[in-house]
Amino acid sequence: MIRFVARRSLQALPLLFIVSALVFLLIHAAPGGPLAIYLSNPNVRPEDIERLRRALGLDRPLWLQYWNWLWAFVRGDWGYSFSDGRPVTARILERTPATIELVSLSLACALVLTIPVGIVAAMRKGRWFDRIATGLSMAGISLPGFWFGLLLQIVFAAGLGWLPSSGRSTPGADDAIDQLQHLLLPTVVLATVLASGWSRYLRGSMIDTLSMPFIASARARGLPMRRVVLRHALRNALGPLVAIVTVDAALLVSGAVVTESVFAWPGLGSLFTEALARRDYTVLMALLMLSASAVVLFNLIADALQALIDPRAAAA
Amino acid sequence: MRRVVLRRVAPAVAALALVTTSACGRRSSGRPSNDLLIVGYDREPDTLNRFSTHILEDIQTCVVEGLTTTDEQMRVIPLLATGVPTLQNGGVRLRSDGGMDVEWKLRPGVKWHDGVPFTSADVQFTVEAINGPDYNPESTDGFDRISSVETPDPLTAIVHYKEIYAPYDIQFIRGALPKHVLKGRDIDRAQDYNRNPLGTGPYHVVDWKAGEYILLERVPHYWRGDEFPKIRRLLFKFVPNTNTRINQLKTGEVHVVALAPWDKYREMTAIPSIVVAKTPGNAYEHVTLNERRVPAFADVRVRRALISALDRELYTRTILDGLAPVANGPIQPVSWAYTDRVAHYPFDAPKARALLDEAGWKAGADGIRVKDGARLAFTLITQAGYAIRESMAQAIERQWREVGVDVKVELHDGTAISSIWFEGRFDAMLHWWQMPSDPELTTFFAADRVPPAGRNINYFVDEGLTRLLYASDRTVDRAERKTLLERAQVIIADAVPEIPLYNVVRLDAVPVTLANFKGNPTNTGIFWNVHEWEIK
Repeated sequence: MIRFVARRSLQALPLLFIVSALVFLLIHAAPGGPLAIYLSNPNVRPEDIERLRRALGLDRPLWLQYWNWLWAFVRGDWGYSFSDGRPVTARILERTPATIELVSLSLACALVLTIPVGIVAAMRKGRWFDRIATGLSMAGISLPGFWFGLLLQIVFAAGLGWLPSSGRSTPGADDAIDQLQHLLLPTVVLATVLASGWSRYLRGSMIDTLSMPFIASARARGLPMRRVVLRHALRNALGPLVAIVTVDAALLVSGAVVTESVFAWPGLGSLFTEALARRDYTVLMALLMLSASAVVLFNLIADALQALIDPRAAAA
Repeated sequence: MRRVVLRRVAPAVAALALVTTSACGRRSSGRPSNDLLIVGYDREPDTLNRFSTHILEDIQTCVVEGLTTTDEQMRVIPLLATGVPTLQNGGVRLRSDGGMDVEWKLRPGVKWHDGVPFTSADVQFTVEAINGPDYNPESTDGFDRISSVETPDPLTAIVHYKEIYAPYDIQFIRGALPKHVLKGRDIDRAQDYNRNPLGTGPYHVVDWKAGEYILLERVPHYWRGDEFPKIRRLLFKFVPNTNTRINQLKTGEVHVVALAPWDKYREMTAIPSIVVAKTPGNAYEHVTLNERRVPAFADVRVRRALISALDRELYTRTILDGLAPVANGPIQPVSWAYTDRVAHYPFDAPKARALLDEAGWKAGADGIRVKDGARLAFTLITQAGYAIRESMAQAIERQWREVGVDVKVELHDGTAISSIWFEGRFDAMLHWWQMPSDPELTTFFAADRVPPAGRNINYFVDEGLTRLLYASDRTVDRAERKTLLERAQVIIADAVPEIPLYNVVRLDAVPVTLANFKGNPTNTGIFWNVHEWEIK
């Protein structure tokens, strides 16, 4: 297992290097740059733009900018934000807890929903529970997150007045209940979207597994249905779900961009939206590299988990 | 099986129940009070240093005060100065070498929030820091024309300009940098100051929670007297999504939304606790015609045809819901330099067709006009994500098509569009300029101010107008300057280098219980008189 992890980590390095070059090129190719935002102010004159361009090092050739960034980045110096002049690491660290809080709760809620729904829908394939679950999950997959979020705000905050519409806490209020109330709506949005997709996977693989001969033979030997489903079928059917859940867990690092923006959630997703709008290259690069690393890492975890669940995968 | 499901779901249900039952009944949506007023703000500031930021300075104006400010009618009024220097009162003196001296008298008894007196040395330090090599403010406009600042006594600062600079009265509108805090330091990286600036204003920053809010609290002894400000705390909450911001206004989670979009006007007026203040603004929406890219625009008859083909009155009545009036030029009615005695172009499609015929553009087989084998066709770019702009662009496209002009609308994101116009890579563009409170037009219309040297993105060349504009920049006498600028407005209206559409009226949603709210048409923002705001 250690050799497996070491080999995969080494393989990931050139991949991340290529990703960094591509991402760097792409964000610099997008029209406008960190200075574009200054242009709408008539008092900012061309000589001001030139002065700022030099100060930010944007007047250097692109390859040199990339090389300087890369060399500093691998040594742990992620630079300063073009937007507010603070260290990129500080800006990312202060946003991380909010994202971890929202995403981990959403992942947990989504799992709690997915497992029973997926199993029951597979066992009752074609019956009313399955049909309702299928309908709801199709709706969940198709709903645009921002629209669903605004709808929940209108109903539960503006209409019924039960919950706060957005934000992470009521300024001044420091209690856990207040924080949970703020978490509820964004979690519902994120968990619904995740669970809708996941439960489809689980249902599919459960149906496949339940039709296999070893299930019939287990039943024929008189094992109770509950034991057959939970001990034998579920373990076999979990593979695809574990893979998708683990890869989705990369959201912990990238943040839930749309949900965070709609709910003014101060996490990494809304930091990304801000940095993108301002073409804050240093913050964007750091966030994108974190996301890329997270995807690589969580894929590795997914493979490792797969091997634990199903020893045949490790052998392969 | 059923029990299994229950056992797994039960904890989640219990948790949900706990949260919602504790939320049972309406949340006490905090009403605005003299203890706390909550402002829903569309973005988090980059820095609170007024000289470095590139967004509006609403939060900063509560903390850092200028020598002057602009009021609700865009008049320049003294703040930390005792008066506005002019030629008449002897505060401005023209020198024989072509330069000028401006003598600022500072208000006695004003202290920085740390108790250190505010003096002319701070004004001098500010100029030196901005002109110095180690600091990168947003703009050095005006400061770079100052040769030195003399400080004969702590309350007098004499600013020596190398040349005549008409907008001298707003030179220190952003305040001053505290010398005793920033001297000898790298201001770009002075995060203690940039995140929590030392000011002389009615409030100071007590908390800045990244991505969430900035909390201001009244200072104990504001120079106007201990009874000011009336409201103890101001909370600026960052809510980037417009719909969410309006939802928060409905729930009472925010009490003030500045610069609200017009398409939310009716939704906001339906909220009983809110009044929507309308302030005629100092910005105007218009269509820029890039003469360098579309040769047809170089013909004044084509430009007059394009403006006559548009029913601008109809646009303001329908798309803008009657909230903003048609604009006839770049200087807005709120400015002292404004004149209405210029050419007006009411909707007249037959006249537009006749003008295009006269200019040699004849209708082709598909109805689109053709001249020398070229079709009268171009693209109109505008910013994506603004419902009003998108509707406006469609209306324009349609009305131009009716007189035989083929227009294709293209949408771009805000950052992209800035670089597109800066490089002149567009045919026509629908956008607005937020004009400075000083009525300078040179950067927008002088022949030598095409990008990158300025913002003449119509690439419009009129030597007479150019001379007039430069002359107005070198005139400090207001009456004389007004005459020059009025002549410039007449020339611009005749030549139609761009198509003015409407005056950008500011909508600010504030509590009905808020007294002394006055609004502000400029980038100074609505908080310029926050010290007298009071919930009644």
